[in-house]
Amino acid sequence: MSDSSEPGTILRVRGPLEFKCQLDSTVGSHIQKVISRTFETLRSRVKSESLVFTVCDSPVVVWPNRGKQETLYASPEEITPNTLCKDLQQWIKTDEQESSSKKNAKSKSKKIPTASVINLHLMMEVTKPGPLPALTLNRTVQKHHFLRTTLPMDCVVHTTCNDTIGVACERLLEELLHQLCEMEKVSLQHMKGTTLQVPEPLHFLLPESKGLVTVVYPAGVPDSQLEAHRKELHQRFELPEDRPYFRRANVYRFPNETYRDGYLRNPHLAVTHPSLENGKLYLVQGIYSYHHYMQDRMDDNGWGCAYRSLQTICSWFQQQGYTERPVPTHKEIQQALVDVGDKQGSFVGSRQWIGSIEVQAVLNQLLSVTSKIMFVSQGSELASKGRELANHFITEGTPVMIGGGVLAHTILGVAWSETTGQIRYLILDPHYTGSEDLQVITDKGWCGWKGPDFWDQTAYYNLCLPQRPKTI
Amino acid sequence: MGRGYIVEDSVEGYLSKMCEAGAGPVTGVLIGQSSGQRDFVVTATRTPQREESAGAAGSSLDKEWVTEHARQVSRMLPGGLSVLGVFIISDADPKDMLISLRQLVFAVENLISKDRLWAAADDDITDRIALHVNSKTRKAVCRSLDVRDPKSTAKPADWRYQSGVCSCWATVSCCLEVDLLLALPENRTSIESMEKCLKDGLKAWAHQVEDGVCLIDGKKLPADTELTAGQKRNVRQTFTAQLLLTPDGQRLADGAQQCGGSVSLRGAIHSRAYLHSNKPKVNLAEKLLKRDVVSTVAVRVQMLLEELLTEEEGKGNSKEKHWAEQLSLPRRVLCPVKGHGPVCVCDYQFSDEGLAEVTDRLKEMLDLDAAEQDLDTRQELAAEPADSSGPTEPSVETVQEPKRNTYTGVAMATAAALLATAASLLYLQDD
Repeated sequence: MSDSSEPGTILRVRGPLEFKCQLDSTVGSHIQKVISRTFETLRSRVKSESLVFTVCDSPVVVWPNRGKQETLYASPEEITPNTLCKDLQQWIKTDEQESSSKKNAKSKSKKIPTASVINLHLMMEVTKPGPLPALTLNRTVQKHHFLRTTLPMDCVVHTTCNDTIGVACERLLEELLHQLCEMEKVSLQHMKGTTLQVPEPLHFLLPESKGLVTVVYPAGVPDSQLEAHRKELHQRFELPEDRPYFRRANVYRFPNETYRDGYLRNPHLAVTHPSLENGKLYLVQGIYSYHHYMQDRMDDNGWGCAYRSLQTICSWFQQQGYTERPVPTHKEIQQALVDVGDKQGSFVGSRQWIGSIEVQAVLNQLLSVTSKIMFVSQGSELASKGRELANHFITEGTPVMIGGGVLAHTILGVAWSETTGQIRYLILDPHYTGSEDLQVITDKGWCGWKGPDFWDQTAYYNLCLPQRPKTI
Repeated sequence: MGRGYIVEDSVEGYLSKMCEAGAGPVTGVLIGQSSGQRDFVVTATRTPQREESAGAAGSSLDKEWVTEHARQVSRMLPGGLSVLGVFIISDADPKDMLISLRQLVFAVENLISKDRLWAAADDDITDRIALHVNSKTRKAVCRSLDVRDPKSTAKPADWRYQSGVCSCWATVSCCLEVDLLLALPENRTSIESMEKCLKDGLKAWAHQVEDGVCLIDGKKLPADTELTAGQKRNVRQTFTAQLLLTPDGQRLADGAQQCGGSVSLRGAIHSRAYLHSNKPKVNLAEKLLKRDVVSTVAVRVQMLLEELLTEEEGKGNSKEKHWAEQLSLPRRVLCPVKGHGPVCVCDYQFSDEGLAEVTDRLKEMLDLDAAEQDLDTRQELAAEPADSSGPTEPSVETVQEPKRNTYTGVAMATAAALLATAASLLYLQDD
């Protein structure tokens, strides 16, 4: 769909559409008819000339249903249906951010260029050239059910450098109409009596250039009850049925959508990767959060490194959609160990270290995740584990916790040459005590590549390799 | 530092005239526009005589009557114009009149702002005029009162006459469609219930309007752009506005509710606002126009409800289980104020009224002498006559034509074929 050297522009239009209808009876077939009729009315609204797209943070307004010949297609006048989408950027006012722009600049120069996003707002024009029919008030007295909700429309279109606004808006309109049809289906399917579940559109980025796919889920229904829907989607998009792509946690994060919880995501993407002779990179797949000493106002300096590595792993499982459980606290981790009989009750609230075996036990207890344990009798042997680690990152792609000597770390990937045997380890260090400053973390190597000499050559190590549950 | 009021010359003549009449104190309201720097008084109108007290004790001030008149007047003012204060003409000492003036100013302000559906803005001017004119010396003493603070002292203010104050005022206008559907609660479908329902629905709609995007002459301009920049001075300008709205999901209740009925408000209105000519900004135009949009709809609904409440006794509808009715709301008719540039006042004409009733009300409320041909009826169409085959509900009543009671309680005559006249005027419009 997109040329990786020219990422193109994503146009995203969002806006609420009001859904209102009157049900004169509670008979199922009547309800279905009325709901369908109401969606039909909304589809007409989307096709009407009153529909407007406003480009966020800009003076640009487009009336996508107005005939292409008309000069009233957009405001300012310079914008015509033939204007290129990428040229819209010049009209958009961007805020200057102080410290974060430095970080972004650094990470942008090292990351693959991502598509820029132009956000549009869906609105209706209520003014028209007059005169128009006079104001009337209609009052009816009749018992009925009044159903009211707001549909959160959210459509995305990926454009290339040659696409015009005219073409892009036409596609957005098609998407809106299609989305309303999907919403109608989902609403009717999940309706209980007169209660309507709000149909919610979500975007998922599929692998192998399948691009962004939009799915409508009923808002109040949890993932656990939507497995059949997901199965159908996996089949439709020819995706393997052993890993999740369509859980709510897998929702695509647009480049301008920041995480609000304060944790850094995938800091390794800002690091320059080594190139080994005949070597390849085998990295963690998906998204994790960087957990380290002193976070969450928890002073675990000196004893909590394995806990933090475990938190990073849990964050991975949560963000890939394998669990809805939030990342556990130190106490919750300790309690889990008590619950499985591994530790005494006094363990909870203590500052005792844990190792790979405990990490494995907690992952099993709290997330039902099994892990493989790899034992290395001395650190120097780690250099020969290239193939196994590479395979792990290919098949499972989960972060690895490694404990040995007096330290615990997280391995996010390896660079390994099958021919020369050269190896490097991408390490995420939980011993960092500073703030979430990507620049510092990457510059100072708190997330960075280490050689085989990083390990204590004589100490023994245990690695916990979490396995992905086979589920969608 | 007191406020300075720049007052249209004609107001001086008007106040003088009432000094001559000399039959006890005369009260009235002052109309104009306040801005950050200056305030402009465009016209004044005396409180009409109360029928019962004509010739009787005119020396005591009837606070209720004055404030009710002020409220009626404020309904007849398009955007940009508002009641700026109160005047009293008497031969008493200005200091003695101050207490009365203060009472009236606050009472007027409280009554007018009570029914407002839009929220006060931080940059709204809250000073109102307390003007005393000595009927013997014709001397005008002007003070301003801050209506946010009932304990505030009256500050001296400048009162200066000038010609052509609003000759170059700009006009912003639009024609806007309303489409509201509201549920009536179960077992409560009375007029009072409908009134509450409409008030809540209009309030939510007013928020939508407030948050809406406003285009001026097709452009979305930054808020502090000067509207009349780059234009020749002393040229009267008109601007067309467009309003883009989005439903606000948070405010209205979600979900299903059992209802006893529904109320819908559909159709279009003409909205306009006037802007002073002292470098008005886009955000002022937007604010004043949006307020007029909300006011003109709210006022008409209020008027209709007032009519329905007075004639509720006559209905036997409550006996029926299902019924429907369609009521037309009055249309806006504009009337230019001679010698005041583009400025017009307005009135609302019910479908069973003729234009004569409109000119009567303009005379009574605003002391304006207007002929029927002066009236601008082109901006809004009159409602169409009742069609009993209209709604598809099982039992439909024919359209109700609420009888309009005028301010002085004179019953209205039924309409002539004004609709035909309105239609033909429509085809004659030249733009």
